Formats: sequence, C-alpha cells, structure tokens
Amino acid sequence: MTVVQAFNDWFASVSALVVPSFSATGLVWISITIVAYLLALSIARRTRGHPLANPVLVTAVITGMVILISGQGTGNYQHEAGFIHWLLGPATVALAIPMYAQWQKIRELGWRLVLAVFLAGVIAPLTAWLTVWFYDAPLAIQMTMLAKSITTPLAMEATAQINGIPALAAVFVITTGIVGAVIAPGVYHLLNVTLPQARGVALGAVCHAVGTAKALQMSERTGALATLGLCLNGIMTAIILPLLFA
Amino acid sequence: MNNLLHMLAGLAAIFLFYFCGEMLVRVLALPFPGTLAGLLMLLAFQFLRRKTPVVLISGGAPLLRHMAMLFVPAVLGVGVYWQQINENLTGIGLAIIVSTTVSLGLSGWIAQRLLQSVAVDSEEDPGL
Repeated sequence: MTVVQAFNDWFASVSALVVPSFSATGLVWISITIVAYLLALSIARRTRGHPLANPVLVTAVITGMVILISGQGTGNYQHEAGFIHWLLGPATVALAIPMYAQWQKIRELGWRLVLAVFLAGVIAPLTAWLTVWFYDAPLAIQMTMLAKSITTPLAMEATAQINGIPALAAVFVITTGIVGAVIAPGVYHLLNVTLPQARGVALGAVCHAVGTAKALQMSERTGALATLGLCLNGIMTAIILPLLFA
Repeated sequence: MNNLLHMLAGLAAIFLFYFCGEMLVRVLALPFPGTLAGLLMLLAFQFLRRKTPVVLISGGAPLLRHMAMLFVPAVLGVGVYWQQINENLTGIGLAIIVSTTVSLGLSGWIAQRLLQSVAVDSEEDPGL
C-alpha cells in the first residue's frame, strides 16, 4: 500500500467507528457509560475491591440494564459508543509506558520469563479449544476461541485471518479477562502463587488487558510483568495462529 | 492548567504513535496489528531517549487508569451475538470459565517455579 492508500484505509475504518459517537444520541450513550463507570468505581471502593465488584463487569451490567430499559438493543449501543471502543487502540499503545518503567526488573528475569509466557500462551488456547471441540461447536467458534487470551485488537485481527468471527472474539476475549480478574486472587491463594512477577505474567498472558488492569491494582511490578505477558503473548499468538490455520 | 496541557500533549503524542503504527503495518503489509506496532515504537522511543518524558506519563495515565471503561462496548457484544453463543452455551461457558481458571492457575504456578530463583525480591505482594 502507498502512504496515501494506507491513510485512506485507516481513516475509513476509524470514521466508521468514531463518527456515530459524535451525534446527540452517541454522546448520550457515552455519558451513560461514563456515569455507569463512576458508579462501578464507587462500588469497588465501598466493597474494598471485592473481585466480583470488577469495574468492567459492573459497568457493563449497569450499561446493559439501561440499554434493556431503553429498548434500543446492544447493536445500536455498540454502534453509537464506538469512540470508547476506538480508544482501546491508543490505550494499548500507552502500555509501553509501564513496560519501560519496569524494564530493568524484566531483563533480570531473561529467558525464563519468555518461557513462562510461551507456556501460558499455549495452555490457555489449547484447553479452551479442547473444551469447545469436545462440545462439538462449529469450526468458526473453535477458531475464535483460540484467540481468547490475547488483547482485543490483536484477537480481532487474528481471528479474521483464521476464519473465526472477529466481533465474537471481542466477546470471548473480554469475558475471559473478566473471569480471570475475578478468580485470580482465589486461584493464586489456592495454589500459593505469591511471587508478584509470576502473578503478573500469568494474568497478562492468559487474561490480556483486563487481567493487566487487575494486576496493576495488585502492584506496579505485577502490572508491568502483566503488560509484558500481554505483549509477548499477543505478538506470539497473533503471528502463530495465522501461520497454523490461515 | 499546566497539568491539563501536559496531559493533552501526552495524549497527542500517544495518538501519534498509534497513528504511525497503523500506517506502518499498512504500508509494509506487516502481519500484525497496528496498535502492536505503535506500542513497540513507543517502547523504542523511550529506549532512545533513555527515559519517559513527563508529558507521556501524564498523557498515558488517564488511558491506563480508566482502561476498564473502554472494554464496555466490546463486552456488550454478548447481546449482539447471543443467538450464536446460546446455541453452544455449555461449551463456550466451560471454555471461558473453567479453562481460564485452570490456565491462569497453572500458568501462575509454572511462572513461579521458573522465576523464583531469579526474582531478586520475592516479598509478599501487599496489594492483593
């Protein structure tokens, strides 16, 4: 592609996502989401960060109830709140900041860290795929499930390349992240995983950005390692999946 | 006022890296997403400068701190795809709940075995 073509292509995809948000109804839906998020934050604070009071989950439930009452449908909401979804792109780029801040600590861990991320990146999609395969789900859903542990923008592009369903990938990815963020404290306690680095790597590699948000809550180091897990596994899975299945 | 300007400048810089990433993968037909390229370029920029400019820190903070809100439209896609999900509810539900729980536990446990010997300070994480 030439630079001009690339620009037009990018501009068209962003416009399709963002323009509906800058209408009167779009701004109303964005405001509703922000208010729901503020409520979710205050609930999380009042319950002292109880895992079930996960901000993503609570915000989605409150917004979902408003959508249900309004009778507008979630498709319409997704269309009109596209700007919020688009911001995930720049937010993913911004993950480079905590990663750099913790680089020294990350380097000390060396190849062991890469191996840990690699194993996590294989275990998570493999067990998920085995489950849907066992229940005889359609091939498109099986393919989509393979990308559930990597961050939304990467997962959507990877599933498109292996004949999965990109929009469904976003749903699988986020629900995986929420489940992980909710159960992480319990599972880590059960298996006695106390090392901040290990907690971070697993959360980032298995539960991508939602897990990373949870890890940042635990500590800055856990968050940085989670960011690294997210990036390494994201790169790995997004490159390997199309090579294996495209 | 100064803080607000710092934040806006930082946001603009992050958007610029995001934009360059999106352009780069298209022009070079790279097999991975533009956001990933943007992230790697921002990382490389910090290595070249040998520090993170204050502006970037204040611009990145609101995006990183409130990332949870940005996932909401994608989560509500559950409603849009309910038909397909419902037809395969058991498999999908188990794959997401059970497999994620098992993978997270197993990965954390493996990571701890691998990293324990090299992690300099393995003090209990206080934030949990």
